[in-house]
Amino acid sequence: MEQLETFIVESPDAVGAKTTRSLIMDTIADLSLSRVIGRLRVFVDPVEPVFIFAALLRLGTPSIKLKDFAKVDMGSLGKDEIKIEIEKEAYTIKLLNKLWARYGKENIEQPDKKVLIVKTDPIKELDAMRDLVIEEPQQEVLDRLIDAIALRIIPEGFRVRKHELSMSHVLFVASEDTLKPEWLAKAKDMLESLRREENA
Amino acid sequence: MLEPIMYVGGAYKHNHLVELVEDLGGYILQKNMMQTEVVLLMLVPINDITIVEAKAKELLGKLTRAPLTGSEIATVAPTLAYHHLPHLDCDVAEFLRKQGAKTNMIGLARGVGKRICQLTAYERDLINEHDVAVFILGNYEHCIIEKSKKLYEGIEIPIVVTGAPELRTEDVPNATAYVGNFGRILHHMRHSEELRTLDKLSEVIGNVLDDVRKEIAKDPPSVAPPRIKKEIEEQVQEIIDSLHPLPITLQLNGARVKLPYEEFHEMLENIKFVEGVTMKEVAQVLPSKMRDFILIKPRPKSETGFVI
Repeated sequence: MEQLETFIVESPDAVGAKTTRSLIMDTIADLSLSRVIGRLRVFVDPVEPVFIFAALLRLGTPSIKLKDFAKVDMGSLGKDEIKIEIEKEAYTIKLLNKLWARYGKENIEQPDKKVLIVKTDPIKELDAMRDLVIEEPQQEVLDRLIDAIALRIIPEGFRVRKHELSMSHVLFVASEDTLKPEWLAKAKDMLESLRREENA
Repeated sequence: MLEPIMYVGGAYKHNHLVELVEDLGGYILQKNMMQTEVVLLMLVPINDITIVEAKAKELLGKLTRAPLTGSEIATVAPTLAYHHLPHLDCDVAEFLRKQGAKTNMIGLARGVGKRICQLTAYERDLINEHDVAVFILGNYEHCIIEKSKKLYEGIEIPIVVTGAPELRTEDVPNATAYVGNFGRILHHMRHSEELRTLDKLSEVIGNVLDDVRKEIAKDPPSVAPPRIKKEIEEQVQEIIDSLHPLPITLQLNGARVKLPYEEFHEMLENIKFVEGVTMKEVAQVLPSKMRDFILIKPRPKSETGFVI
């Protein structure tokens, strides 16, 4: 998969389109989003005024839970504790931070490099702990993407906005005035054309 | 008339040049020492420039005309958001600063949009306290023209507008000058063609300031702003201890003194000149819109009948 297979900025104002293109490139590079956006189409008409941003996304790995990289079990018999045996050390720091925030520092012991003991009721907490989300790469990427589009790319004066966001695409329509149905239809068309290209 | 000039040369014996300029009745506005190099921004009487040039040649330094010297420029952005900062706006402000101007960055509260943009009364008064306002606008011709129709209402100083398209100044309503090739740029301007654009901007602003200078020379101020600066520095101890950048900021026709108005305006009004007049006879001491600072505006010759 190539980065940014389609990157089109359309506008009746050629100079404006060129500068908008360069500012989108800068923003994508600044927020390291170049691997995330697969295809991108932008339409700007300053006279109307409308700004449409349609993109197909290629998000990375889904969220990582505790059970994906550690064994979670009851602790020693007769004690209210959970024992976590870590298999991949890469996530230990994030895991510790999450556990400290949830159970308090005083309730967490680390007798060994790869073993953690959490003092809590195992019957109530065991399942919840197995599903504890340690890292959300997709969510982080989406946050950055929204930052890029809503806060940096769309002209500031375009305060009236409608957006669609999913794991596979993002669509923004923005204007200074009330949004017209034909703009929304055009945005849908642009997204469809991107989809057709992707499937061709 | 005083000519704004920048001297770049070695630190060795540069004080000879400083003394020469002062003896000729000129003023040293800023002195930056960078290890063995010194940069002097100064105002030199136009008739004595050849003498200063000869001295600079003797010291192996370089003299260049720096028309932005001694001016205070407002760089105005529609807001202080990511859309404009830190790049373009700071680049422009810093570039003009290197050329000898004092720049203040102003982000408007409701400056966005072509239909919804507004300028508040406070912002308008603040911008009017400067010599030139540089409005840094965006990418689209239509937006720049529409916005220019209403955004600059009430601004009495010259307005320089920047944007992406190459427009003629006549096409941009209410603008004194327009400079193209800017637009909304989200990276540091350092490529050669971008630096040329910045050079063009400073040249355009320089021309605008020269026009203002000519206009002022028709009815000269009773006391030259650099003279006001010199007298305050000699007579008001507190200004020496002030930690503000450029505690006395020169403007083409005035000076901003960064001391609280309530406490100091009487002291400034009563400053005595050797010619036997006090400050309040030759200038108005006004409260500035910027914090609680003081703005000094010299009275024109037509009002007082003399020039000191």
